[in-house]
Order: sequence, then structure tokens, then C-alpha cells
Amino acid sequence: MHALNWLLINLGNAAQWLWEALKSACAAAWDGVDFVLNPVLSPVLAVLNPLCTALADGAYFVLSPLPVWLGLAIISVLTGAVMLIAFRYTSNQKAIGRARDDITANLLALKLFKDELGVTFRSQGRIMGALLRLQWHMLRPLLIMLLPMLLLLGQMGARYQWRPLRPGEQTLISLRLAPAHASLVDAQLDSGPAAIIEAGPVPGGGELVWRVRAGEPGRHMLRVNIAGATVEKELVVADTLKRVSAERLGSRWTSQILHPTEPLLPAGGPVDSIAIQYPAVQSYLYGANWWILSFFVLSMASALLLKPVFKVRF
Amino acid sequence: MLTRRRFIQIAGSSGLASVLCLYGGCNPFGKSAARGRSRAGDKRVIVLGIDGFDPQLSERLMDAGRMPNLAQLRAAGGYARLGTSIPPQSPVAWASFITGGDAGVHGIFDFIHRRPEQQCAPYYSASETIGATEGWEVGDHKLPLNFWPFNHGTTQTLLRREGTPFWDYLDAAGIPSCLYDIPSNYPPSPSAHGHHRCLAGMGTPDLLGTYGTYQCFSTRVRQVRDQGGGILKPIVFKDHAAKVKLTGPVNTLLQKPVETQVEFRVYRHPTEPQVRIEIQGQTIVLKEGEWSGWTKVSFPLEMPSFLRNDAVGGICRFYLQEVRPTFRLYVSPLNMDPSDPGGQKVSEPQKFVTEIADELGLFSTLGFQEDHKALSNKVFTDEEYRVQAEFVLQERMNLLNYALGHYDTGLLFFYFSSSDLQSHMFWWDNDEKHPVRSPEDARKYMGVLEDLYVRMDGVVGDLVRRYGDQATILVLSDHGFCNFRRQFGLNTWLRENGYLGPENCGSLFQHEPKFGPVVDWSRTRAYGLGLNGLYVNLKGRERDGIVDPAQRDALLEELRAKLLAARDPETGAAAISAVYRSDQVYSGPYLANAPDLIIGYARGYRCSWLTALGTIESAVFSDNDSTWSADHCMATEELPGVLFANRPIRHPEPALIDMAPTILEEFGLTVPDSMTGRNVFT
Repeated sequence: MHALNWLLINLGNAAQWLWEALKSACAAAWDGVDFVLNPVLSPVLAVLNPLCTALADGAYFVLSPLPVWLGLAIISVLTGAVMLIAFRYTSNQKAIGRARDDITANLLALKLFKDELGVTFRSQGRIMGALLRLQWHMLRPLLIMLLPMLLLLGQMGARYQWRPLRPGEQTLISLRLAPAHASLVDAQLDSGPAAIIEAGPVPGGGELVWRVRAGEPGRHMLRVNIAGATVEKELVVADTLKRVSAERLGSRWTSQILHPTEPLLPAGGPVDSIAIQYPAVQSYLYGANWWILSFFVLSMASALLLKPVFKVRF
Repeated sequence: MLTRRRFIQIAGSSGLASVLCLYGGCNPFGKSAARGRSRAGDKRVIVLGIDGFDPQLSERLMDAGRMPNLAQLRAAGGYARLGTSIPPQSPVAWASFITGGDAGVHGIFDFIHRRPEQQCAPYYSASETIGATEGWEVGDHKLPLNFWPFNHGTTQTLLRREGTPFWDYLDAAGIPSCLYDIPSNYPPSPSAHGHHRCLAGMGTPDLLGTYGTYQCFSTRVRQVRDQGGGILKPIVFKDHAAKVKLTGPVNTLLQKPVETQVEFRVYRHPTEPQVRIEIQGQTIVLKEGEWSGWTKVSFPLEMPSFLRNDAVGGICRFYLQEVRPTFRLYVSPLNMDPSDPGGQKVSEPQKFVTEIADELGLFSTLGFQEDHKALSNKVFTDEEYRVQAEFVLQERMNLLNYALGHYDTGLLFFYFSSSDLQSHMFWWDNDEKHPVRSPEDARKYMGVLEDLYVRMDGVVGDLVRRYGDQATILVLSDHGFCNFRRQFGLNTWLRENGYLGPENCGSLFQHEPKFGPVVDWSRTRAYGLGLNGLYVNLKGRERDGIVDPAQRDALLEELRAKLLAARDPETGAAAISAVYRSDQVYSGPYLANAPDLIIGYARGYRCSWLTALGTIESAVFSDNDSTWSADHCMATEELPGVLFANRPIRHPEPALIDMAPTILEEFGLTVPDSMTGRNVFT
């Protein structure tokens, strides 16, 4: 038993060490990718995001009379169809077909010649090769569709992840200071009719935090005067589901994908980001925890169903 | 404790699941409760339990026209004083309500019981936590595995209230029952047929396993100090920021168990009386005098390296008492999280509490929700306690709305603790000197209590208007209330009368530097423990017993006569108005655990604070100097409860034990022999 305990504990320690090492390696690799991609993608997203927001606003204006779940279902099904068509024209359908046929043929060989070891091994090797070829041919359409997909998810997140504040509801507004201004302890929040300031800003840890109570319904603009600069942040007060932006940030492409609907904060200013704690949408179909699952299930299902219609192989 | 499922769950993330499955076998767990068709038909019985609702005060307020709804029930013959239990302590009384029998039937005789085989080791009477004795010792840990082939004994909290609760008969008959905050039922007894739902009430502990332990961070405190019911902790600010730790449950999976902790940061505004609290990714901004909402906190339980660390979740509220000159931040007792109670059973079925939380949000699950300890320990002022008690009441009003919204037919029971815990702290109904308050403040807070009675009247009024004669409505309390002005040191009295020795002894358990050495059991014939219990140090029962069983009766009679003759030297009044012999007032299978004598104190008197836990102070009589200025642990006849009904009460002297038979007969069921009461309507 002692030997088993010793083994388990040391295996556990080794696994933990490996996990930490893997996390560090991934973080370092991601930093490298981010370092390369940010100067490229951030300006691109700065241009694309307002266009996408305008497009999405138009689409949601059309869908707004429908129940939220139905709107989400329509978007998911249409996305599945569009992605299927895009896949057809961006992928090498012939090569994909050949790979799939190879897999089918070798599966058949496995079944027919199961007593012949050489055939079995050769077929397994060919299946493996065909699978790798299939993955390779998937890569190009995947890379082409990645950016539009991320833009779409960002827009959907702004509508399904959080809900606007209801009049009278309490929330926090957090302003993260740029490192050069981290010692600032005061700022003036001009909330107008959007909110009543109850407490704050309480400084500390490089942040200033206000507690506010939502005021009149509408799409408002908050103004924060800090260190001679003025920064703005949108605040939405409504009883229904509307587009909200939980955070306004500086130029980071990852943040721009997650929070695409507001322009970037000016570079070099005293503020790194301003965030509003919007409540998460509570619904098993489209709530904060579910909309992305519903979206993927519905879009994949529609793509599978429409596959024969558009004669697409994948 | 690790069940097989939980063990596999946490091992699974470490890649060991498949191995353990092969080792232990993977049989599915759980079975769904049988569902039967309700036999209640359209019958509805609604019982409102208002703890400590006093008949004298009720009658005065009804006469003054301040409780018109209850007065209307009284006028229609639906009011009587309700006989309570011996002694009139809440766990005893509510257990009698539940079982329809006296304490000999349900086995709860006092808040505190003792183990005679360990002489007089005390324990809480209504539930008990039994720690795991075996486990897989691996590194610093000892993991109890409760599945084959290990079958280790596991840590369990057991309900010590015995007897069959009346809802079991309803359950068996297919009649739905739903009970909210029922006392003396933690952990909730299981429902065999799936027609019973229950949220545990009084007796439900906090995450630390206590009946409510607050934590208070103060710049005036130099080192961590246990206050009994609360912990004072130092907080030191540097550049207006401080880092402190919230104490959580003990990690009993370690061979040397240690308390879990969660670190949090407090940022204090440089000039304004405001703070920001950052705890586990949550931000709270408070101004001086403000309370936060319920906040989830997850305490990590360190596991061996090859298993994923586990966690225990709870909820608490922060209250910023003062920012300057002294900083004081109060953190409420850590309640079990109703939205995710994990392995902690606070309801039957387990999902009942999460269903409530899904609709209402987070709410307190602790048995004693009003933090009376914070007031007694002077962490709260009277006004702060009143505000906190008001939060409790509001939360319970919301829960009542939920209960009524989800009630169709069958039994609905709802319990209010506010009237009890506000009475303990605010009741003072005469012109005598209050233990801690000025006469004006004593009147002011008695007024707060009267307002609470009026609000309860409103609740009853709403119920009657809502259901009219479509439901039988019973409103009852387990006991009344009276001032607690003078303390009686029972053990001191026993020592002074030669029943407990030596003459300089100071405690039943250990040497007390302030009071003296531990008792010599070879010179002790009787001792007091709990709020009303007196035990004979009986040979063959107590570990170090010296009283021959043949002499027991004579000794009990002698003690009874002398105790009834005890006079307060300050007033000349009798301190004790009744002494009950347990073998005469109880019947049932658990009589052997009862104290030999139950002391019934006169109004204004109660056993001293120190006697209850076995300390022997210097004087027999002393003033009560606590904010806990009213009580009910007196003689049963002194403090009946109330019974209101929307039908005439025929029983000439209804008592708590009559409630269960009444409810069963309302649903057309036969009253079992174990219930000694009878229907109050016939």
C-alpha cells in the first residue's frame, strides 16, 4: 500500500508539474502569436467591427418582432447554410471526396479481409493517411471562415450573453487605469439620466469602481473625466433584450472580438478599459451559458441536413 | 467523506477514472422517488408556526385593536392558549409538534444532552455529526471511501430527533406536504413515497458546523479572538488596501485537519467612508452602514496531488460597520449555498432548496438567522441587530410568497423565527431595570417587537382572505415569553447544598481559573446541565456514578422540595415554580436519556448562562447582564404558546401534542397510538 501511495503521489506531482509546464508553454506561445497578430488584426477589426455592428443591427431589427429563441434559431440555421456553401467553394471537394472514398474502401477491406493481417495493417495505415488528408483539406476553408465566424459570434454575444440593466437595477462600473496612471484615485462620472451614482469611485488595485443604479430606459453615453481626459462608455437600460457592450477597451484584437460594438478607447490615455457588470441572460435556450451551444447544435444540424441539397462533401 | 461517485468524479479529471471504475465496479447510483397520486383531494391545511408568539402580549394587542385579524379569529372561537412542552424549549416543543408525543417519544429533552458513559460530555440534542474513523491514508490525507471493498465509515450528520413525524403518515397516504424552515428536523428526514418536501429550519448549522459564527475584521483587534458565536480578526491597511482571510470549514480529509481559508482584498477610499471588497472575482462596493447582498464563496479543499482539489461553497453577506477612525467589517455566518448545496442536505428532496433558489435567488439556510450572538457580544448595536432581523424577516416573507405560490393542496407549514429571536433580544414588558438598556430604549425595542406582532397579524389576515374556508388555517407558537432578569446558578446551588463537591469546584469539565477546579465525581450526587436539566450521578449509568439506584427516588424528592423552597435573597421570591420528575411527566422509548429532574423556573428567572454548560459560578443568584433579556426556558405552565384557527377550537386545553393528531384527522387519517394528543376541533 505504501508503494502504491508513493507511486500515486509522485505520479500526481509529475502530472501537475507537466500540466503547469504545458500551461506556461501555451501561454508563451499565445503571447508570441498575439504579438504578431495584434498589429495586424487590431486595425482590421477596428474597421470591420463597426460595419458588422451595423449589419447585425439591421438583421436584428428584422428579427426583433420574433421571440428571442426563434431569432437565434434562424441565425443559426442560416449560418449553417452559409458556412456550408462557403465550405463548398473554398475547399477542394474532389480531394475531400477522394479521401472519404479511400476511408470507405479501406473500412470495407478491413471487414472483408479481417483474417489477413497484412491487408488489415495496410488498410489501417491508409485510413490514417486519408484522415490526415481530410483534415488538411479542411484546414483552408476553416481558416477562411474563422474570422467571419469570430465576428459573428462577437455580435451574437453582445445580444445573447448579457441583458440590459432594468430601471432601478444596481450594478458596478469598473475603470481600469493604464499602468502609467495606476495611482490616480479620483475621476468624475457624468452619468446623466442613465444612472444614479450610489457609491464610488473607490480606488485600488489599478481600478476605480462606482456602484450605480440604472436610471431612465435608453441607450445612454456615460462620460468619465479623468486626468484631463474624457472617455465615454455606452450604458443600456431597458426591460427587453438589446445589444449591450459589457466592456470598452484599448486596441487588443482578442478583446475587440469579444466586445465588438464600441469603438476602441484612445491609445495613450489614462484608461485601459471601462466595464459594466450587465446581468447574464437567464434562459436555458439562449442564456449566457446556452446561446453558443444552441448556436453550434442548430448550425451543425442545418449544415448536415442541407449537405445533400448543396452537394457538399466533408 | 467521499462517495464512489464523487471520488470517481474528481479522480476522473486526473485520468484515474477508468482505473478506479475497473477497481470498484461502476454500478449506477440513485433511484427516483416513487410518485403516487395525491389522496388529499381538495383538502388544504395551512400551519403557520410563529416561534415564541406570546399569548399575553397577543391578547393585549388584540384588546387594543392592533391585531384585528387575529382578534377576528378569537371572536369566532378560534383562539386558545396552547400548552407547551416540558421544558418549553424550542427544539423540545417543535419535536412534540412533529411527533405528537412528549420528549420521551422524540428523545429531545433540552438543547443540550450528555453522554453518561463519558460521565457528562455534552452535545447538541437535535443532531450530531459523527466523524469518519477510517480512511485511505495517503500522504497528508485520509480519504474515507464508502464503497466496496473499503466501506469506510463516513462523516455523517444524523438527525437525533426520534419518533415518527406526522408527515410520514401523510406521505404514506399520498397526501402532499410541504414544510418550510421546520425546526428540529436537520438533516431533513427522508420521504419514503415522494409526497413530502421540507426545508430544514432551526438546527441547521453554518458551513463551519456551528449554529452561526460571524467574522468581524477590525483595525482595533490585534490578534484573532474567538468570542463564542463569532471571531474577531485584525485587519491592517497599507496604502488604503488590506488583504485578509475568511475562515471556512475544516478540511477533514487531512490527517491533521486544518481550517480552509479564502483570501480577499479590501480597498478603503482615502477620504470617503466607502470600501471595495474583491473576493474570488466578485466586486462589492459598500458605503459605511451598508450591507452587501448574498455573496458566494468557495473554500478549496486540498486533495492528494493525483486528485483534483475539491471545494465547499457557501454564501455570506458583508456589512461595513465603520470606516474611520476604527475600521470594522462584519461578515455574516457562512450559510450553506441554497443554489448549490453540494453534499450538504438542507432539504428533502435535495433539489427542493435549489428550486427555491432558482426562483428567489440566494437566501439564508442557517437555523438561527438573526445574529443574536453579534448583539450579545456587542459587535452589533441594538439598531444594527434590528436592521439585520428585518432583512431576515423580509427574506422569509419572500419565501412565504413562494410557498403560497407553489401550494395547491395538502399540508403547508411555514415557520417564522423572527418573533423568537427578536423577543429574546427586545422583549421587556415591565418597569423593572433592563439588564443593559435605558428605560426609554427598553420601551422603544419592545415597541419594535409589538410592531412585529402586528405584521404577523397582517400575514394571518392575508392568509385568511386568500383561502377563506377553502383551507384549515392554524397559527401556533411553541411557547410564550417573559423577562429574564435574574439568573439561578443551579450547579452553585447544588454545591452550596452539599450535592456537588468539593466546595471550591468550578466546573463539571475542566479547571476554570476564574471559578475553581473540576468537580470530584466521588463527592457529587447531582449536577445540572443544559437549560433545565438536573441529573443524578447514578451508579451504573454515569461513568463515575455514586448514587445507588435504590436511593434515587428519595434523593429526587429531597432535591425537588429544596429547589421549590429556594428564595431569591434580593426579593424573597421563589425562583423555581415547578420541578418535574421525568419518570412522571414523560413516557416513551427514550425516557432513559432524560434528565432526572426538569427545573421549571418562575417568570423572571432562568438558569444562569454558566450553569447551562457546566460551569459553577460563585453566587447562586445574580442579575442577568446580557442583551438576551427575555427567555422561555421556565416552567411549562408559565409560558404557554398560542393557537389560532379559522374554525372554533373545542379542546378545553389544547397543547402542542394535539397538533399532529389534528392535522392527520383533518386529512381523514387515523391517529397512530404513538401520538398522545387529540384533535382540537372535536
